[in-house]
Amino acid sequence: MGEFKVHRVRFFDFMPSGIRCMAFNSKADRLALARLDGSVEIFNFSNNYFQEKVIPGNDSRSIEAICWVGCDRLFTAGLNGEVVEYDLERLCPKYTLDAFGGPIWTAACNSEETHFAFGCEDGSVKLFEILPDKIQFERNLDRQKGHSVQRILVDRGPAGTRNKDCVVWNVAFLSDYTIVSGDSAGKVQLWDANKGTLIKTHLVSKWDVLSLSVSENEDSIVAGTSEGTVVQFQLLSPKIGDTETQWVRTRTFKHHTHDVRAVTETRTAVVSGGLDTQLVICPLMDKVEVKSSESVLRKVIFPHRSLVSCAKKPSLLLFQFPDQLELWRLGGTDTIGKPGESLPVTRKPEKLLQLKRKGDDHICCSTISECGHWIAYSTVSSIRLYQLQCDNNNISITKVSKLPKVLRSAHQLQFSADSSKLFVASEQATIHVISVSRSECKHVHTFKPKSDVFLPTGSSAPVHLLAASADGQWLTSANRHCEINVYNLKKLKHHCMVPVYNSLPSAMAIHPETNNLLVTHADQQMFEFGIVDKQYTDWSRKLQKEGLHRCRLKWGTPVTHITFNPQAPSQVILHDMHMFCIIDQSLPLDGLKAQFYSQLTPKDTSETDKPRKNNALKICNKYQPLLHVNLLEDDWLVVVERPLIDIHSQLPAPVRQKKFGT
Amino acid sequence: MATKQRGGVDVRRKKKRNIDVKAIVDLGADYSDDDDDDDAPEEVTFEKAKADAVRSMRNALDTIKRDKELLKEKRRKRQELFQQQKKRKLLSEDTLEEIELAYTKKGKTLDSEEQEKEESEEDEESEDEEEVVNARLKESYKAVRLKDQIDANARQESASDFIKSRLYGPGTNRTTTNHMLSLKNKTGMNKTAAVQFVDKKWGSEKKGEAEKFKKRWINNQNMVAK
Repeated sequence: MGEFKVHRVRFFDFMPSGIRCMAFNSKADRLALARLDGSVEIFNFSNNYFQEKVIPGNDSRSIEAICWVGCDRLFTAGLNGEVVEYDLERLCPKYTLDAFGGPIWTAACNSEETHFAFGCEDGSVKLFEILPDKIQFERNLDRQKGHSVQRILVDRGPAGTRNKDCVVWNVAFLSDYTIVSGDSAGKVQLWDANKGTLIKTHLVSKWDVLSLSVSENEDSIVAGTSEGTVVQFQLLSPKIGDTETQWVRTRTFKHHTHDVRAVTETRTAVVSGGLDTQLVICPLMDKVEVKSSESVLRKVIFPHRSLVSCAKKPSLLLFQFPDQLELWRLGGTDTIGKPGESLPVTRKPEKLLQLKRKGDDHICCSTISECGHWIAYSTVSSIRLYQLQCDNNNISITKVSKLPKVLRSAHQLQFSADSSKLFVASEQATIHVISVSRSECKHVHTFKPKSDVFLPTGSSAPVHLLAASADGQWLTSANRHCEINVYNLKKLKHHCMVPVYNSLPSAMAIHPETNNLLVTHADQQMFEFGIVDKQYTDWSRKLQKEGLHRCRLKWGTPVTHITFNPQAPSQVILHDMHMFCIIDQSLPLDGLKAQFYSQLTPKDTSETDKPRKNNALKICNKYQPLLHVNLLEDDWLVVVERPLIDIHSQLPAPVRQKKFGT
Repeated sequence: MATKQRGGVDVRRKKKRNIDVKAIVDLGADYSDDDDDDDAPEEVTFEKAKADAVRSMRNALDTIKRDKELLKEKRRKRQELFQQQKKRKLLSEDTLEEIELAYTKKGKTLDSEEQEKEESEEDEESEDEEEVVNARLKESYKAVRLKDQIDANARQESASDFIKSRLYGPGTNRTTTNHMLSLKNKTGMNKTAAVQFVDKKWGSEKKGEAEKFKKRWINNQNMVAK
């Protein structure tokens, strides 16, 4: 098994946006991250650092500060002078308020979570009161009228840089009346708030200190600089047994190549993000108690969901960008070669269509039908459906103008296998079934989530995965409360609910022949659920015993797509960012862990040829970093890669570091 | 003694006459003066002088009145001109009526405590105006409140420009990503070439000229062949 011809695709110009600010909510163990394009992402740290929610950005929104209130309320403030509260169930902004002070540079919430303060361009600090369903303006602290207790002047810096003004980028106020400031001369300074005097200066770098964060129990400060280093200061006593403590610079991390614009600290790790678009979670070894997935350095580079859709019959790929969709037809070759050879491309891949979105909101999901005649995408404010006609060289696209009124926005879109129906996971946690045809689009049915015994109100969590069976009878949906519902499309009613497993589903697919549902979760666990029998299959129970997921946990990225081989029905292909693997369900599962480890490390092929034939698990990590893997007809495999160096070459300018000998 | 007296009387009379002459000159008399004290002053009766004086005063008052009136006229004309210009700028009476109707329909009440409500209402107002005006204007035109938009955008632009200039402006020591990656290649374990070894912009002029020459040459060859 496992002989394919591979389309190696590198023309998806996926470009993530830089990270601007972040806030960690220790009660909910979630991190909220805001990017430069206005999008907000929420990572669930207790669920293997899975990217739980993504709120798409907006061209007019700019975010400078982000703040949690309680467990489930999220606010951002930006340079357009507006404060936005987000609806974390519907994944869109709930409302926006103008603070009337010009661009807002910073925001802070008090520890009792009753008031918000926003620092505005006009020099005033505006206080807002936090009410259960909104925030309300309370008063204005003008810069002249407010009590200026102490006026502190920040020195310009070492002799060479004196001709430039020093800008204080960050200030933090500790409960023992110490002020910490980070400025553009690269200094982290500690001041006494009562007397207004400087306690200590730490020169951290030659460039700006762009971000500063204080830990919850105020014993550690983390600062991020323009050159990509993250420096930690801890409150320690210089002599053992001494009670007097002072701030000492302890650790330096260099995981970034560009400016670090956001840092925060959790109980066991330092989280940093910046203009190189990567989120780095670095564990602090003295705080980590158990050697588990917490103790591994993690870098989140690609989103934890698929941005590529594939129409298998006409060999079309649909790429989703925040502002447009691109449709490409795969190229081809006429030569046949030996395994391991790369074949010359006779027909080049061509870009058939570039579809730009209308309005300011970014695209949040998109899909193409199997036959390649229908394309649909959704933003937070609208859904659009297009009909595509593709004669040999002419492509025409027409927008379907009259969509059923029930469709307003979608979290996930999926066409049925015969391309006659469109399944829309709406923002209200319901799934609409729309019949799609050349003449008209009609709303057929709406599936509502089944309320459980334990959740009598019915879950309103957003649905992030949809899977339809090949025979058109079953539809499954997974939502962000880890619930998976199965619906019967022929009878148009709810069939059953898969037992809830405490980890978020990351990918889901229904086997075309056996109608078994395969689900992978954020903690790398994989289950197979028989839809007709309404129980887990035997193969799934055997897989649990092998414990493969524990090995995969450290290698870190979640599985984003599962697909099947039409030529060999027992094969399951799944992939994450670094590898794709084929699991043969007909072969025995013994020694799965050993197979996994042996294939990860490169070995001489002659030795391992024989034992390999009986392996149930085969891994290929030749193609990486992967964005999508799919199987076309005739043993063709499509592999969409995005080399990291291509992303790095398009990043903004880094600082110039003079190295000896260069 | 008599001569002294006479002289004295003469001097006094002369003085008086001099004073008289001065008075006549002050009143803007038409008499041409020789400015010679030796000449005998001309005989002017009191009535005539008085009449002259009165006349000249009246003239002066008249000129003042005339000037005032002229100014008034000017001001009035200017005011009218401005009003006409304003009328041309403003919307016609009909649209104003429609806007009034739309305004009263919504029935807003201002809450002085919450200024956000105020502003959102104003936005609603402007939206109504826009809707009403949009209905009348052609599709390619759109009514927007200029002052709100320009201000907010300008401030946001200036704020983001400030950040950009501090991070990437003059004085910051920035280099290109190509340079940074090439340094990594150079200092790494396996030393390789720079990431972007050749800059495609180099010699762009010469390349352009070469292209043109090639086209011309091919053209010539074709012409010769024919």
